[in-house]
Amino acid sequence: MTDRALQDLVLRALADASFRASSAWRQRALADPAKVERFARFLARHFYYERIVHFFKYSGALARVTGRRPEGTLRGAEFEALLPVVVLGSRQTARAVADLVVREVKGGAPVASIPYRDDLLRYEAAMMVAEAGPRVWRENGKGEEGRGTGVPETAEGTVLLDLAYDLPAVLPQLLQPWTEVPQAPPRPVRLLVARSPRGRVAVARTDSAVARVVELADGRRTLEELARAAGLPRNELEATLAGLTDLGAVRFGTGS
Amino acid sequence: MVGAFYNPQLGAELAAAKGIDHLAMADPPAAHDAHWPTIRERYTLLLHDYLGQLSEPLDERSIERARSLATLYRTPWIAEHFQCLHTEDGRYNINYVFPPLYTDEFLERFVANARALQARLEQPLVMENIPGFFDVKASQLPEPVWLARFFDATEVGFLLDLPHVWLEAHYRGMKPEAWLAQFPLEHVVELHVAGVEEDEDLRGPWIAPTAPSEAMLAFLAHAVTRCPRAKAVTFDAFSPSLTADVLFRSVERIRGAL
Repeated sequence: MTDRALQDLVLRALADASFRASSAWRQRALADPAKVERFARFLARHFYYERIVHFFKYSGALARVTGRRPEGTLRGAEFEALLPVVVLGSRQTARAVADLVVREVKGGAPVASIPYRDDLLRYEAAMMVAEAGPRVWRENGKGEEGRGTGVPETAEGTVLLDLAYDLPAVLPQLLQPWTEVPQAPPRPVRLLVARSPRGRVAVARTDSAVARVVELADGRRTLEELARAAGLPRNELEATLAGLTDLGAVRFGTGS
Repeated sequence: MVGAFYNPQLGAELAAAKGIDHLAMADPPAAHDAHWPTIRERYTLLLHDYLGQLSEPLDERSIERARSLATLYRTPWIAEHFQCLHTEDGRYNINYVFPPLYTDEFLERFVANARALQARLEQPLVMENIPGFFDVKASQLPEPVWLARFFDATEVGFLLDLPHVWLEAHYRGMKPEAWLAQFPLEHVVELHVAGVEEDEDLRGPWIAPTAPSEAMLAFLAHAVTRCPRAKAVTFDAFSPSLTADVLFRSVERIRGAL
């Protein structure tokens, strides 16, 4: 085994609690298990602190009304209970942590002044979950950025969110100074949340045609088949796919 | 030079501040940062972003990003860390500075990749030491020996993080001065200093964006006398929770200690 592969084992042990508890790791006796465990717990709290503060920043801005700071989750018993199964950066752990945050914030004071609170929490949780998953750290010439020549496929983690309130209209106001809670217009919106291969999360308003393409791009349908199924002219489909590729919502397989 | 990190929430205070010679930039300026033009005009700025881990070669995109930020900041040198924090396949990422195994294989990797990066930069590269909370038995060399070999094999400068040395000494049960003496201090270009705080998970002290203690300042004063090529000392605190009071008092106390 190369030293680089050994380093990867250490990193995996720090990131993946189940692997850390496995005999495959323990038998190697590469480091003091108690210290590795303490450092792994420190890393887990740090990892999710950064993400909660970032993705739940709007709920953080509303904390003086709700009485609950999202990052308070990290000192709760439920997060402690999650630590033995945490895998840093995995979508499953991101979903579990986001669920805890949602419960933490919803457990605060009544929020008649924030009628869009549930939509907001769904939006923030979707962003956090979308960001999770393996990412491309460096280019290797294999077209990870999604501009291949094969068939289009909706990228893992891409989400369509149907909301009752127009959140994009209120979000910037929440991060500015305010005395009365800024209100979101009560009109339905559909948002697309996607992540680039390098981990950049993007959100865009979307319409039913775009949503159909996202739902139908399964990595098997050709462009012709997709255009037919989505009911779009070929040129319109290609323009839609170009926009979705830029967002990271769709990638093109290499066909091999 | 004595300086600090640019903390955007303190942009207004830093734009008007006196007694700070430079600002290290951990993140690019936000598009809506109204103080950025003044900051850029007023200060020497040091590029201290995450460029990539040099256990692997940086790709063209990362190099171009480094070059572009260096031009924007007019930085006199460019900093990176002795770190390896994500697996080669990108599947696991601990999102926190973490040292490589101190082995010949990793030394070869870091030397080759640092040389390749340096060749693409217009400014000197400096590399910062990273603390280990635990030893990994696969490491073959003491960290200071590994670092000395790295610096001897490259034209790269040493960004000496003193709290990192202090923490390692603490967890080894050594006096910080004794542990520091083993490092290749003749290569030091810049020093970082900050406070440490107790961490519940680690059950001991760790890096924190807090003011340095008197003991840490005395350690700094000692270290500087042993770093003949040092050009700058930076208060190493970058956090949304950092207040102007802590930043300005810390810089003032650092200057006093020197």
